[in-house]
Amino acid sequence: MKAESMKIGFIGLGVMGNPMVQHLIKGGHEVSVWARREASAADAVANGATFRASPAELARHSDIVFTIITTGDDVEQVVLNGTSGENGLIHGLARGTVHVDMSTIAPTMARKIAGHLAIRGIDFLDAPVSGGGMGAQNGTLAIMAGGKPEVFARIKPLFELMGKTIVHVGPTGAGQITKACNQMVMVAAIQAVAEAAHLAAANKVDFARVMSAMQAGSAGSRVLDFFGDKMARRDFAAGIEARLHHKDYALIMDEAARAGAPLPISAQVWQQLNALMASGWGKEDTSNLLRVLEK
Amino acid sequence: MNIGSNIGFIGLGLMGAPMARNLAKVGHNLHIWARRPQALAQYTGLAGYTVHASAAEVAAASDIVFTMVADSPDVHQVILGEGGVAQGGRSGLIVVDMSTVAPATAREVATALFERGIDFLDAPVSGGESGAINAQLTIMVGGEEAVFARVKPLFDLLGKSVTLIGGVGAGQVAKACNQIITGVGVPAVAEAINFAHKAGVDAQRMREVLLGGFAASRILEMHGKRMLDRNFTPGFKAWMHQKDLRIVLDAAHAQHLQLPTAAAALQLYNGMVGSGMGEIDTTGMLKLFERMSGIDEEAVQ
Repeated sequence: MKAESMKIGFIGLGVMGNPMVQHLIKGGHEVSVWARREASAADAVANGATFRASPAELARHSDIVFTIITTGDDVEQVVLNGTSGENGLIHGLARGTVHVDMSTIAPTMARKIAGHLAIRGIDFLDAPVSGGGMGAQNGTLAIMAGGKPEVFARIKPLFELMGKTIVHVGPTGAGQITKACNQMVMVAAIQAVAEAAHLAAANKVDFARVMSAMQAGSAGSRVLDFFGDKMARRDFAAGIEARLHHKDYALIMDEAARAGAPLPISAQVWQQLNALMASGWGKEDTSNLLRVLEK
Repeated sequence: MNIGSNIGFIGLGLMGAPMARNLAKVGHNLHIWARRPQALAQYTGLAGYTVHASAAEVAAASDIVFTMVADSPDVHQVILGEGGVAQGGRSGLIVVDMSTVAPATAREVATALFERGIDFLDAPVSGGESGAINAQLTIMVGGEEAVFARVKPLFDLLGKSVTLIGGVGAGQVAKACNQIITGVGVPAVAEAINFAHKAGVDAQRMREVLLGGFAASRILEMHGKRMLDRNFTPGFKAWMHQKDLRIVLDAAHAQHLQLPTAAAALQLYNGMVGSGMGEIDTTGMLKLFERMSGIDEEAVQ
């Protein structure tokens, strides 16, 4: 059954956002876009999206608005403040519309935005993703959503155009908590793989062979396959830019302190990421955690 | 130029109250205000103290205002917020913030005050409640030398070791360094005591002998004793050291600075707060290690 065409707004036309917009247009929906610099919207417009003059203007043409932006402060500005005067999303969204934020931001910020929107009868989901640029291209993202179940059910057909594993985790903020867990487990595993590569090299053992021995065993993992392979080939180009993981760790560790949860391994990974950033590798891949050990 | 004898003091908690008392003791007129009315009740009608209705009123009546509050947002609020010090202070006023906050907060507040002709020093302290009571605090100051020189006689009423470290924010940087060393030191001493105990060795004697060697430190001496006495009354509350280490690690994150040991220590303070020990002294860290070692607390007492 072909879904009914919906009016959708989309803000955040980067490596992730652009292919996501394409999938929504291909799904038969009418998509409005906005970007700080109109040039960033060129691809989306070429694919059939309509450029709007401000977040509020985009909101007036949309029943559902997706955002996928870098920082919580940026999301807050686009939704609550706007870029000048009262032109944030909140100033254009009608009652009964939905804002779906797919950025990776602090759970507390997600709850704050949801609270402001709820006062005006606007629904909110936090729905961060995992899978990177490749997952966005192929429409195979993992999407972890927080919010009301009925709102999730309403948005689910749109999520299905962009992702493959789509899970409603819990109430508002639960999506961001899940994303934090995802980042912790993944980057800690990258660090563990880097340490293994470093130990192998220190003993003059070929890490590519170590990997092939480990892959089928209990230490096998997607991180070992992907990042271990990059490390063995000494391919340190992004991938996922390490600065984004570094940013995530500030959120994770802040949340841990707020909750009184000790995260000893994550704390160490955080510090290794600081060293990676200090070495100027922030725009390269997180597999550079290996090169931090080699210093 | 000497500072007049009208002194504003905002933040009359565990540290602030005895500090204000040490200033009042030598005949200064203390102008006070607190966000919690109950903190002020005991001062109404007390000789030497005038209770005001806002921080702005305190500032208007004072030649210098000290603030001693919990965290960066509190400092922003009482100094720059509605009814804050900046609104009542005239040009020439000196504001001295003795709270432990981010160096960036000190610089922001100083900049906003300079625009109004108000001078600012950041002057966080070390030495805990007993240091505040006995006027034995260590005071680490950031700001202009001329302003420091004027405030120095008042600092001398509060502390023993008073040092100008550098420009605005430098006092907070020094305090951050202090919190790294003490924040790591307390769990190190707690680990050693727990280790000795688990190994069946008298921890009292362990501490005594170590105080004669290279592991000797103020923390082994003071905090170690409190742990052995099982006196976990604050002192310095665990949640406050957690807060201070968060300030340090957030700054390190922003500067891409690796602080692995401080990061590990912060997780232990998270553990204390999360298991309901946020309000006891940091020496309660020993209880955290005992729980994780399968030691029954009642058996130790």
